[in-house]
Amino acid sequence: MDRQAATVFVVDDDVSVREGLDSLLRSVGYAVTCFASVREFALARRPGTPSCLVLDVRMPGPSGMDFQAELAALNDPIPIVFLTGHGDVPMAVRAIKAGAVEFLLKPFREQDLLDAVRVAIEKDEARRRDEAALAELKERFATLTVREKEVLAFVAQGRLNKQIAADLGLSEVTIKVHRGQVMRKLGAATLAELVRLADLISGTGRAAR
Amino acid sequence: MMRDRERMRIERPWLWLGLIVAMAAIFVADTFTNLEIAVAVLYVAVILISARFDRPATVIWFGAASAVLTVLSYLLTPRGIHETGLVNGALSLIAIGATTYLALQIEAAEARVRQTQAELAHMARVTTMGELTASIAHEVSQPLAGIVASGHAALRWLAATPPDAGEVRRALERVVADADRAGEVIGRVRNLVAKAPPSRNRLELGVLIEEVLALTRGELRRSRVVLQTDLADDLPQLLGDKVQLQQVVLNLVINAAEAMGGLETGPRDLLVGAASDGRTITVSVRDTGVSLPPAAIEQVFEAFHSTKPGGMGMGLAISRSIVEAHGGTIYAAANHPRGMVFGFTLPVAGASVERQHG
Repeated sequence: MDRQAATVFVVDDDVSVREGLDSLLRSVGYAVTCFASVREFALARRPGTPSCLVLDVRMPGPSGMDFQAELAALNDPIPIVFLTGHGDVPMAVRAIKAGAVEFLLKPFREQDLLDAVRVAIEKDEARRRDEAALAELKERFATLTVREKEVLAFVAQGRLNKQIAADLGLSEVTIKVHRGQVMRKLGAATLAELVRLADLISGTGRAAR
Repeated sequence: MMRDRERMRIERPWLWLGLIVAMAAIFVADTFTNLEIAVAVLYVAVILISARFDRPATVIWFGAASAVLTVLSYLLTPRGIHETGLVNGALSLIAIGATTYLALQIEAAEARVRQTQAELAHMARVTTMGELTASIAHEVSQPLAGIVASGHAALRWLAATPPDAGEVRRALERVVADADRAGEVIGRVRNLVAKAPPSRNRLELGVLIEEVLALTRGELRRSRVVLQTDLADDLPQLLGDKVQLQQVVLNLVINAAEAMGGLETGPRDLLVGAASDGRTITVSVRDTGVSLPPAAIEQVFEAFHSTKPGGMGMGLAISRSIVEAHGGTIYAAANHPRGMVFGFTLPVAGASVERQHG
């Protein structure tokens, strides 16, 4: 993991906590940007590097939990580590169910915080890798001919070459050639992998974590 | 005790002077009128007024002085029938003795009332602080979280090669500042919970309010209330009991936060203001919670009248008794476009003295 490239965003209305976290996270090699409110963070430009958000639950104005829902509505995938001065179990459960990486009580243990931030950054890195892989796959998919896409769709449904040939009114040999082309273009070594990639492209599959 | 008395004397110099002049006048009149005229009974007025100092020793002092002056007048008066003078003097002395006794009784009863009120106020204060425990814990946990983060950061900057002295110093400075802040919170809580006798000191109301707001910040955050303050810079000082007045402000702020805590929609704005017209200081706490109907507003300051589920209905009643004991008035009104304004007006230090001897 390249920590130099990772950015941690800290949103806390308390200046002590903000400055302490800023110094601590910088001391272990993260780039840190602090904000006093979620509004400031929402307006900020973010770099394309792996990043995560360390967010105080209760702040004047919109709360951290509200903001989590807002980010989810915007399809913003930034992983969130919650900090709170007085949290309860239902609140923690709600935050984790909504996708938060960790829910830490203040005053937190240093190692717990650093672990949570590391997990969050790794999660973001994995997501970025998956997204890049999917984008590349989609590019490759775009190079398929109409006929090849047709064949791929049938293969993905689990139909045999013989059946596809009958459906499309082509010879089995021709289908085999098309299938070979599709596997080569998409970079699939086996039939199982081809089916998985087809699922990824159609959006029904989930990227491996 | 001694210092208390000194302060009384400084606080109410006109009352002292007035009583002593009155005694002197009665003495002169008693001495230069015939023995048949019992001017000395007028001392009872002086003794009754001396009960206003709220000090038994002062009452006894005025009683004894009156008795001595009565006897002295009898001996010095040149004209009149001595037998009649003797009877008059004896009656005057009995009146003075009885009045002193009554004044002491009144004084003791008033002291008991004050004591009971103070105990009730203390109980309410402790209860309120108990309800605020979670929020106050938060107020302490914030600087503690800062200390943890800054402390570990300092260690890491120190362990770096080469160590970053600048970062270490800044981190340690924050540790010290955060520790001070946590200590201040604890000190304020201790002051509010401690059982202290009622006192009268010169107070900066702005500072007093800021201290209360610092303690309630966690509670406001929990209720997601946005706090704004409008405290005039040049507020004159006032005389009063700091802890008791803090209790009033605390009650009003907590009530406002609770009134907005249950809101489904709409802003949760709290405006705490303090302004002065030179003679009085007015503190107001405005919220955007639920407005009370006019009939309910009239009753809010009555004991055991609560608009909150689970409320004892003592907070505002105690607040009123505290404000009135300071020579002020407390009020409630509807805020526009919604919510309530609670506030109180207190005489400033100079005006307070005027009122007392007037």
